[in-house]
Amino acid sequence: MRLKVDGKEMEAREGALLLELVQVPTLCHHPHTETRGLCRLCLVEVDGRLSPACATEAREGMEVWSDTPGLRALRKTLLEWLLLTTDLSLAPELQALALALEAEPGRWGEVPGRKGREAIEDNPFFLRDYAKCVNCRRCVDACGDGIMGVYALTLTGRGLLAHPTTPLDRPLPETPCVFCGNCVQVCPTGALRPLTEV
Amino acid sequence: MRTTCPYCGVGCQLEPEVRAGRVVRVLAPDLPPNHGALCVKGRFGLDFPFSGKRLLYPMLRERKGAPLRRVSWEEALDFAAHRLHETLKAHGPEALAVFPSAKTTNEEVYLAQKLARVLLSTHNVDHCSRLCHSSSTAALSRALGGASMTNPLEDIWKTDLFLVVGSNTTETHPVIAAMIKKRVRQGARMIVVDPRYTGMAEAATLWLRVRPGTDLFLLNAMARVVVEEGLWNRAYVEERTEGFQAWAESLAPYTLERAEEVTGVPGERIREAARLYATTERAGAYWAMGVTQHTKGTATAQALVNLALATGKVGREGAGLNPLRGQNNVQGAGDMGALPDVLPGYAKVAEEEARRRFEAFWGVPLSPKPGLRMTEVFEAIPEVKAIYLIGEDPMTSEPFQDHTKAQLEALPFLIVQDILENETTPFADVVFPAASFLEKEGTFTNTDRRVQRVRRVLDPPGEARPDWWITRELGRRLAALSGRPWPLHEGPEAIWEEIRRALPGMMGGISYRRLEKEGVRWPCPSEDHPGEAVLFRERFNTPSGRARFFPVDYTPPAETPDEAYPLTLSTGRVLFHWHGGTLSRNSRLEAAYPELKVEVNPRDAARLGIADGERVFVVSRRGRIQARAWVTDRTPEGVVYAPFHFAEAPANRLTQDALDPISRIPEYKVSAVRLEKLD
Repeated sequence: MRLKVDGKEMEAREGALLLELVQVPTLCHHPHTETRGLCRLCLVEVDGRLSPACATEAREGMEVWSDTPGLRALRKTLLEWLLLTTDLSLAPELQALALALEAEPGRWGEVPGRKGREAIEDNPFFLRDYAKCVNCRRCVDACGDGIMGVYALTLTGRGLLAHPTTPLDRPLPETPCVFCGNCVQVCPTGALRPLTEV
Repeated sequence: MRTTCPYCGVGCQLEPEVRAGRVVRVLAPDLPPNHGALCVKGRFGLDFPFSGKRLLYPMLRERKGAPLRRVSWEEALDFAAHRLHETLKAHGPEALAVFPSAKTTNEEVYLAQKLARVLLSTHNVDHCSRLCHSSSTAALSRALGGASMTNPLEDIWKTDLFLVVGSNTTETHPVIAAMIKKRVRQGARMIVVDPRYTGMAEAATLWLRVRPGTDLFLLNAMARVVVEEGLWNRAYVEERTEGFQAWAESLAPYTLERAEEVTGVPGERIREAARLYATTERAGAYWAMGVTQHTKGTATAQALVNLALATGKVGREGAGLNPLRGQNNVQGAGDMGALPDVLPGYAKVAEEEARRRFEAFWGVPLSPKPGLRMTEVFEAIPEVKAIYLIGEDPMTSEPFQDHTKAQLEALPFLIVQDILENETTPFADVVFPAASFLEKEGTFTNTDRRVQRVRRVLDPPGEARPDWWITRELGRRLAALSGRPWPLHEGPEAIWEEIRRALPGMMGGISYRRLEKEGVRWPCPSEDHPGEAVLFRERFNTPSGRARFFPVDYTPPAETPDEAYPLTLSTGRVLFHWHGGTLSRNSRLEAAYPELKVEVNPRDAARLGIADGERVFVVSRRGRIQARAWVTDRTPEGVVYAPFHFAEAPANRLTQDALDPISRIPEYKVSAVRLEKLD
């Protein structure tokens, strides 16, 4: 199948994700957890509309733009809001990206965020430090459909207040959690991290 | 640095991140077999090498009763070699036994069994799979001529029906369980045969709650339905098997009515299971200790083999017969010849041609008489006078612990080679401190025959040395005393090169260089061969090339409940621990599961007036242990379940040493017990 990416004709296999064809930043996307289309960092323009590259399949004759001034501005704003709400000190890749996009979070003033949340230590293996969580949901997907099928993590709240937690906010040992740490492995910001690292 | 997990047979690839001599984080690379996933043991349980119980220096005891004293390697090795050599001269090769470990590398197992055969002239070589899958090995070998998983783990993604028998996969092989459960979420179906409501039962399409020790009856009843309803695969049976008719006739007594009485599973559900298994083309059977650890373990595994053959499931993608191997290198330990009746590559000791080949290869004569199996060696003390024990803890893992203790006390000479002090160390005359998997190079072979690298990430502490080095040095001294050949390998790769030459058809194509990238499955005869995924596509490894049916009959467990001992005890593992607990209980895992909990059904608990969390005694004819009652309907009425990881409350004080007549595996899964309240 043929399509046009950033002005160039390209060949793609049936079912390929746009992410495989363009170089764009990603955050929530992870091959093992099947998380798709949540963080919007990988947005591209498809036939004039915004679509997440990690959740959009290539189609015959598609026209895709991955790096327009508008997209850059959008990514920059997204990162600024992440920086305002979240502690990204253990996410060097996001910091580097913010630097590259010349993000200035201060220009939005103060917004309510999760930075002040206290870390939860309720088991012998790892910490849940939601001040560092960007709501990418990889952990929820790794625990659920993506890998384990255990469903000890879930999402609660909406919009800016949305965040991962356990069912009914119980301590992890009181959930079906098997402490496989697959959620820890896929966490991109250090919100979940082994106690040995703390 | 990438290495292979030391816990179970899945063989997960992992990348431990070491800072200041400590493992701070464990990640998994996107490689087979685990593709980034791990379980709690691989992820958080790799700190046992830093335990205070590490054996750091060679030690020896001049005479029984004297304390162990620290000595130099030189002195410990000389002492051990002389004692072994004296025993050999005075009492002959049958008085010696060597137990390589399924926890050590292929290279180390190969060297240890070679030491036994070449320098001590004995086939008294065995390892812990005697206590886990020896029944499967016996059944598969005689029927198919091979004793490993027939299909690769990747086939899980192509399987439409899983028949899981006696495997608590979610806790014992968690990464495989996650794969199977994901496949079930994608639409595959799963039949689970288990007395307990395990994580697999929870995910099953059809859960058959058999009474403990009656799986064989159920499998034969399923087979009878298959034959009766004409669901067997005629073309397959005619072309690829022999003995079908006699087997089919042997199933006459296994009616659904009788099956319902014996197993407790409604006949209609057995029929449903039989139809589902027979009519799903890609149906794979998976099993573990629930099948094997019985006095009829071999027969039960055989029943499963028969059922798979009748329905044409072996040699097909997404199907097959898949015993889930427990130890990280239990497959490799068998491949390397750590078994009393076979040489490396499963060449039979009793077959002249095989023996000749190894006699020429090693340059020594070999006895045609198979050696003793591990359980038999312990029985043969004090005729067996010296044991070289590597990475095993029989005090915790053998059944009927008091008896094992008496036997070990009566043993004249014991070498314990291990990384950590365990329950058997106090019986040692010589202690060799070994290096852990993080501290050495080599290969492990996982449950689906994938040879994978183990890499040195840390330096061994104190004077600990890798097992291959210790065995090589002990061999060097024995060779000097006996005048037999013992080439001094420079390191693990040199030993692996000898293995490749010894087993060209099996391992010939697998070089360390090739393993840099990812593991390679045997058989792999040449460097350009990808390694075989599905076994027996064209022919079986039997002389005729056909698989053989073996009729098997149901017998009740050796001990059944009675008035004095009205409950059935089943033993096994829990997610957070590993076998004797030597590794897991010296790691962070201990904090998650620090004491023995015995599962008690709510009805039994109510009858006995036992509350959840209450302390109780579990009592059998052989002894008693203390445990905390966990009142849960995971276990059926009349059955209690206890893990065997806890040295201070060893479930194996309760189990009996009734053995399977063929595999000599003990019946760990069924003992009669009663519960007593503490006061």
